[in-house]
Amino acid sequence: MYELSFEEVAKKYPDFPRTIMRKIDTALRGIIFTEKALERAKEEGAFYDASADFACLPTRQSEKSPLPVVAEPLPVVAEPLPVVGGVFFRDGTYVLGLESVTRGFHSPSATLVRSGEPYLLDLVDSKLWLLDGEPRSCTQGRGEPVEEVYFAPVPRYFGKKTSRGTPMIKMISSRAPNRISINISSGYCHFFKEKLPCKYCNVIPWSIEKGLPTLLNLEDLYETVNEALGEEGGFTSIHLTGGSDPRGNSPRTFAQNENVIQRLDAQELPIFPRAKVRGKPYENEVNEYIKVLKTLERCFGREKIPAVNRNGSLPVQAIASAFPKKQLIRLKEAGLTAYRSNLEVWDEKLFQRICPGKAKYFGRQYWIESILQAVEIFGRGNVSTQLVAGAELAKPYGFKTIDEAIASDLECAEFFARHGIYTTFCILWIDRGSVFYREKQELPPLEYFVRLAKGVNEIRRKYKLSSDFNDYRRDGFHPDMDLARIDYTD
Amino acid sequence: MFKLPKEVADLINDPESIKIVATVDEEGNPHCAVKDFCTVLEDGNIAFGEEFEGSQTNVNLVRSIWFDKNVELTVRGKDGTTFQIKGKPCKYVYIGELFKRFYLAAREKWGPDSELAGVWVITPQEVKNETYEVRKKEEDEKHPFFRHLDRASVRKTKSVFLGGKDEN
Repeated sequence: MYELSFEEVAKKYPDFPRTIMRKIDTALRGIIFTEKALERAKEEGAFYDASADFACLPTRQSEKSPLPVVAEPLPVVAEPLPVVGGVFFRDGTYVLGLESVTRGFHSPSATLVRSGEPYLLDLVDSKLWLLDGEPRSCTQGRGEPVEEVYFAPVPRYFGKKTSRGTPMIKMISSRAPNRISINISSGYCHFFKEKLPCKYCNVIPWSIEKGLPTLLNLEDLYETVNEALGEEGGFTSIHLTGGSDPRGNSPRTFAQNENVIQRLDAQELPIFPRAKVRGKPYENEVNEYIKVLKTLERCFGREKIPAVNRNGSLPVQAIASAFPKKQLIRLKEAGLTAYRSNLEVWDEKLFQRICPGKAKYFGRQYWIESILQAVEIFGRGNVSTQLVAGAELAKPYGFKTIDEAIASDLECAEFFARHGIYTTFCILWIDRGSVFYREKQELPPLEYFVRLAKGVNEIRRKYKLSSDFNDYRRDGFHPDMDLARIDYTD
Repeated sequence: MFKLPKEVADLINDPESIKIVATVDEEGNPHCAVKDFCTVLEDGNIAFGEEFEGSQTNVNLVRSIWFDKNVELTVRGKDGTTFQIKGKPCKYVYIGELFKRFYLAAREKWGPDSELAGVWVITPQEVKNETYEVRKKEEDEKHPFFRHLDRASVRKTKSVFLGGKDEN
């Protein structure tokens, strides 16, 4: 099938901002630094070598360094574990395609599946530009400058340690420029434990590889968040996330599920059999969130909390599993303001194929009902869900056409919007450690994401839903949310 | 790149001059806002602090940078010297040194609970002197027949206008 080029898509959708379109394209194609660009990052305080913090052995660029660098005249060795503070388009839109090195440590771009040739990040007349197109050889030039971009410095807490000697960079991340991200259980997701991971997900293998703490030390967290909050003009929101843990307060033996998946694949089973959990389902996971919320409350000071948020709660969103109503109320009472539970895939059959852990604990309808209940507790605009855009096109079981995929995604957005919940989407990552990587899945074309962003944004506008917790600077990974910037006066 | 005359840059950098940014929304409705923090950067661009992400000015500026639209800055000094600068928004920053500079200035002016969403950078493209005396002279030369015939420059008059002196 013929795939439209960037310029062809831009011409077809002239009302779609080019920077946001370019952002999507950078996510799909990736970005390679030149040495000059890397030097500029160092000069501007936008570079940090995290190798000591993560105790990583030096690796060669050709092997697995997450920062692809090209030099004059050939690709060179990149020994450190580099981190840059972020790259931004002129309008402040977050540049993607450098996910592993922009303060997040989520995925090594050296193994992330891309489509097409990567962009080059280089200096042109001493300014930082993305370059695209041929020729790419160093002697003949590096393509044409297509977008001017700029660096942001790394946060000050990088390079600091807690009083226990823990590198603060391991405690929190700031993958989006204005948000503190706290992973409450980096190396653990029960769905992985049961060999039922969401098929696109590689977070757990990656976290384990990077030695991130499975459970946070709360004193380390307290010190780190305090340090980050002291940065003038630095952060505006806090996001909590973690792997799913559907267990109640009585752990039980893990079931083996491979047979179930095979029977589902063979269509011997109509749906994934629901699990039974002793005690209160998902209580373990909620307990961990509450511990972190209590720690954050200490950071702000109890007397300041009412001023932080008009609801008297913390400026915190949890991106978590679908919880029963009682657990949601516990989170609200502990100070949580916003809640996002990611359905990931709307279509019922694809949901259980792509998210078997969620299907088992406790099925699509359960996840939907949990999200609907959450809006009663947290309020309109404070509850959202996310789709992994492109997962629903997985071969051979996914939608066969982009039109079908978009129709399904927009049905999801419309359904939730009617209940005061907004749906956003992220761009599919296919990376080492995920089932999709093994299955050799591919990324959808640029036009699919442009159409989806337009469609999702139009639904959000129609229902006048707020997106403040997941917008262009508190999240930065949602093209549809980037479009919301011109609706902030509504 | 168009370079601002020194006189204009000095006026923009003068903390006591008044600066007004004019933008338009999607339907062409104009919107003006006074900006307290405005400065000419080393590269000749103009930077000003935007207090609120959800302000009409900010939203209009986002649309302007997305779709290549012009904005205008009017600056007026204490003596009435006025310039109108037409330009294009070229950058919006909410992180990094430039932002921090403005953020801390806002803190100093408005106190520790103040807010600043970001800093807009405008590339000037055209400057027009809008000072009354200058414009009057220009108009008199360009459109001499638009003048009122009772004006002192046209005929003898005894009129005293708004407390002014009869020039004859």
